[in-house]
Amino acid sequence: MVDVKLDCKGMMCPMPIVHITKKIKTMEPGSVLEVVADDVGSKEDVPAWASRTGNELMETREENGNYYFVIKKK
Amino acid sequence: MDSNEVGPEKVAIVVSEGSYDKAMASVFLGSTAAGLGMDVHLFFTFFGLDLLKKNKRPKLKGMFRPFTGMFEKKMKGIGVESFQVMMDTCSEMGVKFYACSTSMEAMGLKMEDLRDGVDILGASKFLDIAAGSNIQLFIG
Repeated sequence: MVDVKLDCKGMMCPMPIVHITKKIKTMEPGSVLEVVADDVGSKEDVPAWASRTGNELMETREENGNYYFVIKKK
Repeated sequence: MDSNEVGPEKVAIVVSEGSYDKAMASVFLGSTAAGLGMDVHLFFTFFGLDLLKKNKRPKLKGMFRPFTGMFEKKMKGIGVESFQVMMDTCSEMGVKFYACSTSMEAMGLKMEDLRDGVDILGASKFLDIAAGSNIQLFIG
C-alpha cells in the first residue's frame, strides 16, 4: 500500500519538509508516501505540513526513536 | 499581478543582515513556507543584500567568524545543506528573491553580481506585497 519511501533520518528541520515536498511533487495523486525521520521536531512539523498542503496523513507511529508518517497525496 | 488577490497564503520576509545565522534562518523559513504551499517573498536589504551575490558564503558573526567552516560541517552532519544549495532549493520551490534598489546603489552592486532570478524592487512594491501577505517577518 506504500508506493514510495523516503528516508529523512539524520536530517534536522527544515530538511525533512524540503525533501517531502520535492518527493510528493513527483508522485501521482492518491499514491502513498512513507517517511521516516528522527528529528523530534518532525513529530509536529509533518502533521502541520500535511494539514497546510491538504495531503492526507494516514498514519503516524514512533518506533525506536524514529517517526514514521504515511501520507496520501492529494 | 495584484498582490491582494485571493490565492495561496503569502509570506513576506525582509532580510537585513548577511551573517550565517540570519542567512540560514532566511532560507530555512523560505523553503519551509514554500513546502507548506505558501507564496514566499524574500526582500534583501542593507547587509542582507550581500546574500544575493553569486556564490556568497556567509560567515558567522564577530569572534565566531573563524569557526564558520567547522559550523558548516556540523550542519552538513545533521543533513542541512550549504547556504548556496539552500538558496537554489528555495528557487526550485518557487521562493521569490528581491534586491532592494537603494541598497544596490549604496553597495555598488550590479544585476550581474547577483544570482539568477532576482528582481530589483523599491520599498513601495515590497510593502505592496507585504500588505497582501498573511505573514510578515523581519530578519535582521
